[in-house]
Parts: sequence; C-alpha cells; structure tokens
Amino acid sequence: MTNATTTPSGQPLGISHKPSATEAMFDTLRGQNRPAFIGYLPYGFPNPDVSLDALRTMVEHGVDAVEIGLPYSDPVMDGPVIQAASSIALRSGETIKRVFEAVEAVANAGGVPLVMSYWNLIYHYGVERFATDFENAGGAGLITPDLIPDEAGEWIEASDRHGLDRIFLVSPDSADERLVTVARNARGFVYAAARMGVTGERASIDASPEVLVDRTRRAGARNVCVGIGVSTAEQAAKVGSYADGVIVGSALVHTLLNDDNRTARDASEGLKLLAAKTDELAEGVRGARN
Amino acid sequence: MSVLDDLVAGAVEDQRNREKTVPLAALKEQVAHGAHTPLDARRWLKRPDAIPVIAEIKRASPSKGHLSDIPDPAALAREYEKGGASAVSVLTEGRRFLGSLDDLDKVRAAVHIPVLRKDFIVTDYQIWEARAHGADMVLLIVAALDDDRLRHLLGLAHELGLTVLVETHTREEIERAIAAGAKVIGINARNLKNLRVDVNKYDELAANLPDDVIRVAESGVFGAVEVEDYGRAGADAVLVGEGVATADDHELAVERLVKAGARVKASETTPLSEHHGPYWGQFGGRYVPEALITALDELERVYDEAKKDPEFHKEFMTLQQRYVGRPSPLTEAPRFAKLVSEKTGLDARIFLKREDLNHTGAHKINNALGQALLVKRMGKTRVIAETGAGQHGVATATVCAMLGLKCRIYMGQIDARRQALNVARMRMLGAEVVEVTLGDKILKDAINEALRDWVTNVKDTHYLLGTVAGPHPFPEMVRDFQKIIGEEAKQQLQDWYGIDHPDAVCACVGGGSNAIGVMNAFLDDERVNLYGYEAGGKGPETGKHAVRFAPGTGQLGMFQGAKSYLLETDEGQTLDTYSISAGLDYASVGPEHAWLKDIGRVNYSWATDEEAMDAFRDLSQTEGIIPAIESSHAVAGAYKAAADLKAKGYDKAVMIVNISGRGDKDMATAGKWFGYLTDDQAAALEVTGAHGNTVA
Repeated sequence: MTNATTTPSGQPLGISHKPSATEAMFDTLRGQNRPAFIGYLPYGFPNPDVSLDALRTMVEHGVDAVEIGLPYSDPVMDGPVIQAASSIALRSGETIKRVFEAVEAVANAGGVPLVMSYWNLIYHYGVERFATDFENAGGAGLITPDLIPDEAGEWIEASDRHGLDRIFLVSPDSADERLVTVARNARGFVYAAARMGVTGERASIDASPEVLVDRTRRAGARNVCVGIGVSTAEQAAKVGSYADGVIVGSALVHTLLNDDNRTARDASEGLKLLAAKTDELAEGVRGARN
Repeated sequence: MSVLDDLVAGAVEDQRNREKTVPLAALKEQVAHGAHTPLDARRWLKRPDAIPVIAEIKRASPSKGHLSDIPDPAALAREYEKGGASAVSVLTEGRRFLGSLDDLDKVRAAVHIPVLRKDFIVTDYQIWEARAHGADMVLLIVAALDDDRLRHLLGLAHELGLTVLVETHTREEIERAIAAGAKVIGINARNLKNLRVDVNKYDELAANLPDDVIRVAESGVFGAVEVEDYGRAGADAVLVGEGVATADDHELAVERLVKAGARVKASETTPLSEHHGPYWGQFGGRYVPEALITALDELERVYDEAKKDPEFHKEFMTLQQRYVGRPSPLTEAPRFAKLVSEKTGLDARIFLKREDLNHTGAHKINNALGQALLVKRMGKTRVIAETGAGQHGVATATVCAMLGLKCRIYMGQIDARRQALNVARMRMLGAEVVEVTLGDKILKDAINEALRDWVTNVKDTHYLLGTVAGPHPFPEMVRDFQKIIGEEAKQQLQDWYGIDHPDAVCACVGGGSNAIGVMNAFLDDERVNLYGYEAGGKGPETGKHAVRFAPGTGQLGMFQGAKSYLLETDEGQTLDTYSISAGLDYASVGPEHAWLKDIGRVNYSWATDEEAMDAFRDLSQTEGIIPAIESSHAVAGAYKAAADLKAKGYDKAVMIVNISGRGDKDMATAGKWFGYLTDDQAAALEVTGAHGNTVA
C-alpha cells in the first residue's frame, strides 16, 4: 500500500497545483454578477443521517458552497445556537471519520464542500491524514476559526500538497498588517467577520463589514466573504452587494432546533423549515446586485 | 551499476568534455584573476537565533522527474534571497537534474549570499570549476568517494577557500567524513515510511559530532514541519529543494521556513527563568481567533513597556507591600516535617511559603494586581475573568474594586456550588458573577464563556486570565507576576534560616501559576529538585482525575489558546475532568509546564483526593495552618517528594512547599469529607442563594 503522503513511486507528494474549486466557483458566479451563498451546518446535527439530508437540502435550495461544521466540545467562536447544535451532534454519536461522507454528499449534490473546524480536532486526527481523506472525499477547503496563519505551518504544508483551500478569518479590528498576513497565506477566500463577537443571528448589520471587505481586498485578497450575524434575505442582499460571498450559519441551524433552542426539532418538519429558510436567503443573495 | 555510480559516471564524462575546451590550467588562470573571493559560508550556516535555509534551484530529480522549468534561475535566486535564504544551492548536473554551470553563473551574479555548487564531484577539475564560476560552497558525497579521494578533495576545496557540504547517509559515512576533516555535514534522517524526520535516527547519526561541525539536514525538507522536526532534533541548517522551487510564491515559501526555524530557536532559549514566549519548546503559541490578535498584540506591547518602566515596578511593589501584605512569610513546619520523616525515613526540614497569608488568601492576587495595573495603562475600563475555586475571581474582583474597574467573573455552575461563599465574596466586592451552565460547567467552560465575551467586547475589555495558560503573552506575563513567590522564598531561606538553597520545591499544578511562581527562581539551579503535583482525583486509572502528564492521560493538543498536554477523547474532544479541588480541575496545563516536563526539569506526579485530604488534615493539625485543597495536593506531594529524595540517596533534605492559598473556603467540603458536618449542615452550605446569574 502506498503511504498517504507519497506518490505511487514512494516519493513524498509535491505541491499540488490543482486549481482551487472555491476560486473557480467565484469566477463562475462573477460571470453571473452575483455573490456566492455559503451555508453552514454542523455535521451530525441533529444526527448523522438527518444531517446528510439537511446538507443536500441546502444545496438543492440554492447554497453554492457548504460549510460543514465539525462539532467541538469547546467552540469559543460560537454563540448559543451553534453550541446547542454541536452538543446535540456530539451526543448523537458524531465522529470525524464520517464527516467525509458529508463532504461526498455535498459534492454529489453539486455544492462546493468546505469544512469548518476548530484546530484541535484536525490536529488530533492528524493534519496530513485529514488533508488526504478530505481531498479523496472531494473536499475543497478548510475554514479554521481558531488557527491564524502564523500557527498554520503544518496545515499550509498539507494543504499545498493536497490542493486544498485555506480559509482564515479577519475581523473588523484586525490591523492592516494582519490583513496582509491573512491574505498572503489564504487560498480560496478570506472569511470576514461582520462584527466583533461570536456566531449568532442579529437584527441588523452595520457598515463595518463593507469597510473590512474593502480593506481586505486592498491587502491582497481576491475573494472576501462575509459571515457572522447574517440571518435574513435583506441582510444577505445587502452584504452580497459588496462581498464575494454571503455566509449564513445560525439562521439555518436554527430551523432544525425546537423553540427552546436546546433540542432538535422533528426531522421532517425541520428539513421543510430549512428548505424554506434556504430559499429565502438564496433569493436575497441572488438579488444582491440587481 | 547503482544510480549513484551512474550519475557520477555521467558527471565525469561531461566534465571531461568541458575540459577539452577549458583545460584545468585555464580554470586556474581564471581563479587567479577572478574578482570573486569565496564567502565563508560557515558564518551563514550556523546561528543562535535561526535555522539557516539553503534554498535550491532544482528543475528535476531522478526520483521525482520534472519539477519546474525555472526559465530564469537568477530571478528565482533573488526571490530566495528576499525570502531570507542564507544560501542558494545550484544543481549543475545536466543529465538528470537539468542544471548547468550557466545556472551557477547567473545565480552567482544575482545574489550576495553564499552559493553552493551541487553536483557529483569526484575530480579536482570540478572543484576548480566551482571556484572559477563563483561558488562559495561545493557538495561532496561520501558514498561516491573513497577515504583518500574524500580527504584530498576536501583539502583542495578548503585551500581554494570553499566551504564543503559533505553528504552522508549512515553513521559510518559520518565517521568517514569527520575523519577526512569535514566541517559541514549533510545529515539524512528521514523515516521513509511516514516521511517525517526520524528524531531517533537523527540522534543516532549526529551523536558525538564535534561542536564545530555544522549539521545540515538534507533530505525531505519540504515545509515548516520538517524544519521544525530537524531543528528540534538539533540540525543547524536545512537544505530545501522542491518545497521552494515548485511553490507558487517562492519568496513566501522561503520566508515560512525561515520563520519556522527562528521559532524553534526562540522556543528553546535559556536560562529557563528568563525564557520568553510565545513558544516553550513545541508548546504555547496563539491558537485563538484572529479577532483577538489585535488585543493580544496590544497587551504584549503594553506589558513590554511596563516591564521596562521603573514607575510600573514601583507602583506594583508598593501595592504588593502595602495592600497585599508581601512579603509572605516562609514558615518552618517542624511538626509536619516529623510526620514526613516518620513516613519516609528522610530527615526533612520543611518550609511553607505562605501565599495563604496574602490579602484575599491566595497567590492569585499577585497576578490580578499586575494585570489590573496594565488595564489602567491600556486605558480599558472593563475586566472579565474566569475562576475555578474562586480564588482568582475574588482576587480579580478585589483589585477591580480598588482600582475602580468594572468587573465580571465567569464561574462554572458546579464550581459555583462548591464555592458558594466565594461567589458571595465576589458580589460583595461589586463584581457581577455569571454562573456558566454550558458544557461541563467547570473551569474550562468558564474560560470559554470569558473568551466569547472578550471576542465581543475586546475594545474596552481586558481578559484577566488567572494562570500561566492561554495564548501568548499570558503564560510569560503571569509567570513574571508570580515569580516573586520563589524569589522571596529563596531570599528568606538564606536570610531567616541561613540555608543557601533548598533541595526540593513542591507545588500543586492546575493551570500551573503558583508552581511556576515558586519554581522560577530555582529553574536554573540544578541542585534544586522540583516537584509538581496534579489533581489525581480518584486515581488516573479511573478516568476521574485531572492528571495531564502521567502516561496514558494527556496528549498533545491545542486548547483555549495554547498547545500543551490535554485530556481529550480519541476524537480530540475535551474530556471531562474531575477533582475535589475546583482550582486544579482543568483539562490542560500551562505550556511552560509541558516544556519543563518534556526536558525533564520538573518531576510531575499527582495526589489523589484522598491523599490531598489526608494532607489537608495533617498540616492543619500539626502546624495550625489550614491549606486550600489545591495546596493540599502540594502538601501530599511533600511525602512523595521526600520518598523520591530518599530513593535518590538523600538522607537529609530541605524542602519548600508552596501553600498557594488558605483553606477557609474549603471548610464545607472538608467538613463533609471528615464527617464534621451533618448532611443538613453541609446542604445548608451549598446554598443556592449565593449564586450569580446564569447564562444559557
């Protein structure tokens, strides 16, 4: 058997010059003069099987790229909705090995599969091992909310070898030199946080993300997407008017939760609500530049 | 014929053809009249603060075939130089590596750093040729040369002012290289199974090399991972080909390697007591959201300024004296020492460092005070903090009251219940206490919630982290505010008791701030044995504990901002921890401790709940000093350390035990444990009325 990190002749893998699937998506959408719609859902929520249906539902209803979350016991960048979903997923037996099924499901449905994970999960699984399995499953890129480029040596090396996108975050108070560091090391796109804080829905979005998107582009990033707090079609349209992509998380996750925000809703009812919410947001995204 | 024989034969044939046009005498003439004096490459290849990178112009190799066209080697070399390369390697072999002397000429003209001619060199002519074409270094491959030839070519190259990189693959070849007079040795220590650097193999190969020999890691260096692996194994420099030659951005690729090397060097500096973050060996760093980087940078900057400012020290020390009540005494504990002696046979003198006598009853105030003064300097108005046992929360609430800062304390619900009186104290001091009902409802969950608050409110808010964990600069800064414990103890032992140094120091280790505090002054004094005791709970084999360092417990991981040892599942999810002491009930441990464990400077072990509670009683009843349950783990550790010293051959020993806090807060737990309280009384102490607000 060939080692995962080697070529068939037993040599180490070199740099993959495979084009970025995410960048290809942005190029296509740019031709249609519309931003990308990127939807987040934790894998394994409310349970592994339903989450696959949910991911497919999102793609079928207009999500271009799916951010498949890996549930983590200590998600410091997440607000209550995603915390609740993650903890339900963990209790229902989510394992990182099976997330590659979700990656395949998204790819088969025609979406661009991204994974969002806190770094310890990837580190523990093995960075090179993850990159190999992720590439084999058809994965496009990894979003790392608690890994800054300065600490990402191993991931940069593995992602170079496997042709995977590296999506780092920037936030409104990031200094210009930080934006340059992120833009230089990113591949695919840069994830701009719409506000300071953790994930979660908000009634309104102020002007700061537009400024941040502009600053990040000037720092050298080609594609900049905005997430954290985008929860309505109107907000999606507004953000989509200037960003290359609109990222929605909690508002989609929310549809699969009961009103107590702690337990999972009945699956078929949840999927219907998810489809409707996805439709609504997709319409906002598609109308962003009209 | 082996691949190497084949390559050598080809190279020699090509050389003979060149010699027909340019005879050796002409080369010598060129050298005599040439303008280039070879650079002493050895000065570029070994540095205390860096792992120099030799970046290679490489178009192809027999094993990997075509790699890159490289139409403009001079431009590539300039990019390497700009990225921080210390030397450029040029493959001049034409048949399989697609290089040429023309490449060498172009590169030489383009850069100011040393240039290595890499070829299959077996003749004098090739050495003269390298010199004539402006190389500063040449490669000699031991496997291609017999001893006489190797010695001769080395001698000739040295005579011509060239530095020689001598490539080896086995210990035997290394010995031959040394015997022949090699000063720069290329070492290949790759595990061909997983392609990672095999540290054991490296150690085996590089063992006993003379100090003045420069070790260059030659094989399989691709990115930051291999630079770090080889650097930690002891390589002085690395040679990289494909990883930089085929990169999209060559300059950035080299820059990343240079940074990785500098990081390795910075992470291992001594003296230990003055080591700086962000890295402690492979541990530490900043595994946090980008949103916190601005605040961490600001904190680091303000702290560095304050450190250099005598006014800051004056204010800090004045408050330590007049407000905290420092210095805390060093109390001899003869009756407790007698117990230890009876049990272990070691004639021990035991001294207690009395952090329990500080204002608020624990060492935590040292750090809370220091950071609160920084908050003033930063102009922030709001402080948040986590607390486990409540000691850090109380200390933070106290200094915030004194300095007029708004304060919110996060505390896990389970901890808040077992430390209800501390919750009341914090509220009394004007702090808002938020009881965290997420996750396991203990210290780590309080830290998560504090981090979420910080990410949201970072502009006006400082996170006053209570231990030597978390992202840089916390581990270093908290150490600096706590190191006064050991500095005082050392002085007091000399001034009050006439003892030059202790034989042992014992402390409990949760996150590890009191332990670092008492140990720092002794880290570089090898006469002092250092012992850290983790919370053994019901025993490491039961899974109900907070032991991170024992075999089969903690693994390497990133948690709450730093890389360290971590209790985690096989999925990388944080494990539930358990200890009777809330303050030690934490899944990870400060990165400096992880490093001190790995380099063997501190002996880490654990004390179970039962051992800690026995020690709690022993110290209370022999010395009239009631230690915190956290500190009781250090007291229990004194028995274990004494036994260890005895086993090491000590008959008599002077031991310092850090009493990090006082045990008043633990009386409900202790009363229940020892049956001094009825169930009703115990239940009454677990009042819910003293709890703070809850968050979802």
